[in-house]
Amino acid sequence: MKASLRLAGGLLLAGLIWEGAVVVFGIRQSTLPRLTEVLAAIAATPGAYWSGFLRTAIETLIGFAAGTVVGVANGLIFFRAPILRDMLLPIFVVSQTIPVIAFGALVVMWFGNTLMAKAVIAFYLTFFPVTVNTLLGLHSVDPRQVALLRSFGATGRQILFRLQLPMALPQIFVALRLGASLSLVGAIVGEWFGDTTGIGVLLLQAMYNENVIAVWAAILCAAVLGTGFYALVALAERRIVFWGAEQ
Amino acid sequence: MTRHRGTLRGILGGVLLLTVWEAVARGFSLPAYTLPAVSDILAAAWQHRAVLAAAGWITAQEALAGYAIGTIVGIGLAGLLVVAPLLRGPVLPTAMAINSVPVVAWSPLVLLWLGVGMGSKIAMVALAVGFTVFLSALAGFDRVDRRSVDLMRSFGAGPAGVFWRLRLPAALPLIAAGMRVATVRSLIVAIVTEMLGAYGGLGWVIYQSVTLIDFVQVWSAILVASAISLAFFGLVGAIERRVIFWR
Repeated sequence: MKASLRLAGGLLLAGLIWEGAVVVFGIRQSTLPRLTEVLAAIAATPGAYWSGFLRTAIETLIGFAAGTVVGVANGLIFFRAPILRDMLLPIFVVSQTIPVIAFGALVVMWFGNTLMAKAVIAFYLTFFPVTVNTLLGLHSVDPRQVALLRSFGATGRQILFRLQLPMALPQIFVALRLGASLSLVGAIVGEWFGDTTGIGVLLLQAMYNENVIAVWAAILCAAVLGTGFYALVALAERRIVFWGAEQ
Repeated sequence: MTRHRGTLRGILGGVLLLTVWEAVARGFSLPAYTLPAVSDILAAAWQHRAVLAAAGWITAQEALAGYAIGTIVGIGLAGLLVVAPLLRGPVLPTAMAINSVPVVAWSPLVLLWLGVGMGSKIAMVALAVGFTVFLSALAGFDRVDRRSVDLMRSFGAGPAGVFWRLRLPAALPLIAAGMRVATVRSLIVAIVTEMLGAYGGLGWVIYQSVTLIDFVQVWSAILVASAISLAFFGLVGAIERRVIFWR
């Protein structure tokens, strides 16, 4: 309660500083419009912003969820089958260092301008880090603990669900937090290749119209979505990895 | 021995992937918009080598310039906050607010501010790299053990001495890790911003090829981008091993 009050206070203060700075320093509207102008632009056509927000949020969420499930499953497979890991992990690591987002163009060409295309981009941006970190987390388990559980007669499945996966969770969540921001970036960039709704579309249209107020309005939407999504993942982390050390 | 075997399997995996790719594309004679054969992509890249090299050079310059600026500003700002803790109050929330927006959402605004030329891409890369390096540098500077600082103080070291002799070396591994991640990010951001508007560069080539439905050209541009990214990543990694020799 106290934290949310402080957050609200901080946001209000930031808004006042923004508004005040523009007025006091006489910043031109084409550089930085007043916050109230930006909010008024959103309030003027709330439907367009809301549907764009919703569309991008759905794309991001579908891709993120699928990327998490497939990433964890993939990490488990690599953990169980070292041959596969040795053969495929280097490709994964190399693919981490290439500008994967450039593939966004190809994905849009494959799936057309559908919601699915953006979800796929968000999916593979999440899927790589989750796979690598799941594997890292599983390998970080102390072999003596595994031996102990086995000496008590635990089956492989029990060891996996009672020990190895819980131990890997902190590492997995590091990847999930990264994936939360990456999947949103993927969805927004995917919309640039031609779509009709979404935050990326709002950004693009505002840029072509050289409408700085609309650009800021879209940036605000992206910030709300990005922060909200990240906060959700962080909240889930605190609930699920309750034993983890707070940073 | 096991390490050797791992490398061998990795190479085998890469070769296998390329072979399957080539075989599938040729065997099913897939149309280029689904999946062009590896040999076709390489041939196209060679055929358009002049265009691709010019575009790659532009993108590399933007990424390098932005990377240099971002690294210096990021480390400098983090150092400033350590030396002058009073600045943390205003600077940190501002930085977090800017960082809460997905980085690509700033691209349209920066393009409107700085124009379609190289300046806007350099600014975007500097922004993305700056944040990555800033956050890791700040974490590194703060990681120093309080008692070590006290010990150096008791020996008569001033704040500058503590910073140069203790905080900076202690923070280097984290700074280097941030800089390594930032290499990949710098190329992605340069390419993504070029997609929105540019006079040249790999992102521009990709966007043009998508609108012209020239799929092989998209793949060869991705190939060049990946090669540059890998080289950059390898270079920074090699420098890191030289500088942080004690790791």
